Amino acid sequence: MRETRDPGERRLERSEFLKLAAATGGAGLLAGLGAGTAEARIAALSKLGAESGRLQVLDWVGYEVPQLWTQYAKLYPSEKPQFTFMTNEANALGKMHAGFKADVVHPCVGWVKDFADSGLVQPWTPSKLKNLLSLNPSMVKAGQYKGKQWWIPADWGFDKILYRTDKVKPKERSYNLLFDDRYGGKIAWFDDINQLVLAGYVLGFKKPYDQTDAELKQSQKLLISKKHLARMLWSSETDMQAAFASGDIWIAYAWPADWVAMKAKKLPVAYMTPKEGAISWICGLMLGKDSSRVDHAHAYADAWSSRQSAQWLEDNYAYGHANTKARPKDANLAKVLEVANPNALKEPHTHIDRYYRRRSLYAKLWDEVKAS
Amino acid sequence: MSSNPSPAPPAARRRRRLDPTTPGLLSLPLAWLALFFLVPIGFVGAYSIDALSLYPGAHALTLAGWHDLVHGSVYLRLFWKSVEMSLIVSGVVVLCAYPLAYYLALSGTKRKYVLLLILIAPFLTSYLLRVLAWKVILGDHGVINSFLAWTGIRDPDHPLSQLLYSRFAVMLVLAYVWLPFVALPIFVSLDTLDRRLLEAASDLGASRLQAFRKITLPLSLPGVVAAFLFVFIPTVGEFVTPSLVGGTGGFMYGNEIVDLFGNALDWRTGSVLSLFLLGVVAALTLIFSRFLQVQRVTAS
Repeated sequence: MRETRDPGERRLERSEFLKLAAATGGAGLLAGLGAGTAEARIAALSKLGAESGRLQVLDWVGYEVPQLWTQYAKLYPSEKPQFTFMTNEANALGKMHAGFKADVVHPCVGWVKDFADSGLVQPWTPSKLKNLLSLNPSMVKAGQYKGKQWWIPADWGFDKILYRTDKVKPKERSYNLLFDDRYGGKIAWFDDINQLVLAGYVLGFKKPYDQTDAELKQSQKLLISKKHLARMLWSSETDMQAAFASGDIWIAYAWPADWVAMKAKKLPVAYMTPKEGAISWICGLMLGKDSSRVDHAHAYADAWSSRQSAQWLEDNYAYGHANTKARPKDANLAKVLEVANPNALKEPHTHIDRYYRRRSLYAKLWDEVKAS
Repeated sequence: MSSNPSPAPPAARRRRRLDPTTPGLLSLPLAWLALFFLVPIGFVGAYSIDALSLYPGAHALTLAGWHDLVHGSVYLRLFWKSVEMSLIVSGVVVLCAYPLAYYLALSGTKRKYVLLLILIAPFLTSYLLRVLAWKVILGDHGVINSFLAWTGIRDPDHPLSQLLYSRFAVMLVLAYVWLPFVALPIFVSLDTLDRRLLEAASDLGASRLQAFRKITLPLSLPGVVAAFLFVFIPTVGEFVTPSLVGGTGGFMYGNEIVDLFGNALDWRTGSVLSLFLLGVVAALTLIFSRFLQVQRVTAS
């Protein structure tokens, strides 16, 4: 990756530095620069780069907690990021199209090309991200597009089947459990176009993310014919967990965190890896195109990539993190995230979520399933 | 009109024309309406024909979104499903609210305003909280199913699962939410009823039922129609309640619009569906208000 120099970045002259230190009363800054740390250099440079105002972060609810960007908070104790929440990637894109100036946005890997092609984001400068080397290389690679690093992987998880072991007896380890007539009215699907992908895997198609028209028709037909079995389509993890915990549903398309949450409630549950291979999501950070706080954004992304943030995310939210140096303290979570399995995120064991060449068609067909 | 009104003196006419009070008072609300209602609708209209688009670059104008709506069965079927649900909710709520409003307005109780306050008391709490409370009541292990199991009417392993995450749940919660909004306009129309008409009817030998049919009901009809519209218009485009308690069966037209804008990034189809809903609701409102004189509610 070729290093590019940010236009706002310039050399820090001694006189300017002293003026800056005096103006900001920056004893900490002086100490930091005296120690010559990279973080302090970034901080000083960003001051000179006229990066004023708070960092604007467009993120998922729950990711605003400072434990996920402690390193940034230490660098800029008086500049807490301003969070705006996204409900999904389309919602985030819509907000940015409508004029919202996000410095950092948090889409999942399947949307990298969509965001990059939208002209609303710009690539990162890898040399400014010292923690990048600690991230899972295959995930980092997934964020590269047209030779540039557009996306920094952060949180990830599996999409597998969560079920009540005292109520449900699967015939096989398969996504077919979501279509099992025996449990009609006790099943929760995920409200996402990837249910068409799941149907594609169940039907044995070669490229479920890029199905032909005929295959998509078959996938849609399967979902429509089985929709009456699904009691709910969840888009909020909290809603699904509440329904599962109350016994309203017994089988759900779910993430590892949901399994951990139900275990914590002492429910007899299993988290099944289907024979079709698990689907996996990875979400990460992208840099706003018109960001006037580019260095702050890099410092923020680097903080998210740190081992400390990763550890906190795993131990508190039960999500995986791209930082390979972090390992969940909870043995159950470590097991379910398959941290000891080097092939955990490789085909055919796992299908990492990816770009949909015909996303709008998938979306239309999924909408028709819901409206049917 | 058989004769022309006598013309006002020229000086008086001139004074009226120059009086800036009326346009002055109207200018702010009209500007508000234009800026925050008509202009946004114009934008939505532009998106519906690709005159505006979410994606950069040149786009040819197209009526494809409208063509899809008219010729695709899915959206129209969903629309009629929502209309059907809203009609049921509106009808049931009006039927439930009428006796309530009748009692409050005509029973002669001195505490009618206290009772009215009690009726709207739940609205002092959060909407979300009230809807979520229904989940506790309607769930498989909720109040109703627990009671049915306790009485032995229903096997605990086979609860009434249709109570929650269903079309029924959506209609029930909507009816609950909108009941006070329906009771109020009916109450107003009954409360302002000229009681002397009822006394006259009684003096002329009409039974209470006849008096109700011939006097009370016709005179309160504008309030009933207004109440019906108060429920029908917002519920036909409802999306929050279905997403909370609707499950797969309670998906409504409003949810489809939200999905098209928020998930599918298909602002063109979303705009088409929104304008279609707006058009149908506007037409219905005009028809109702023209033939049933809803304005009488205001007058009364």
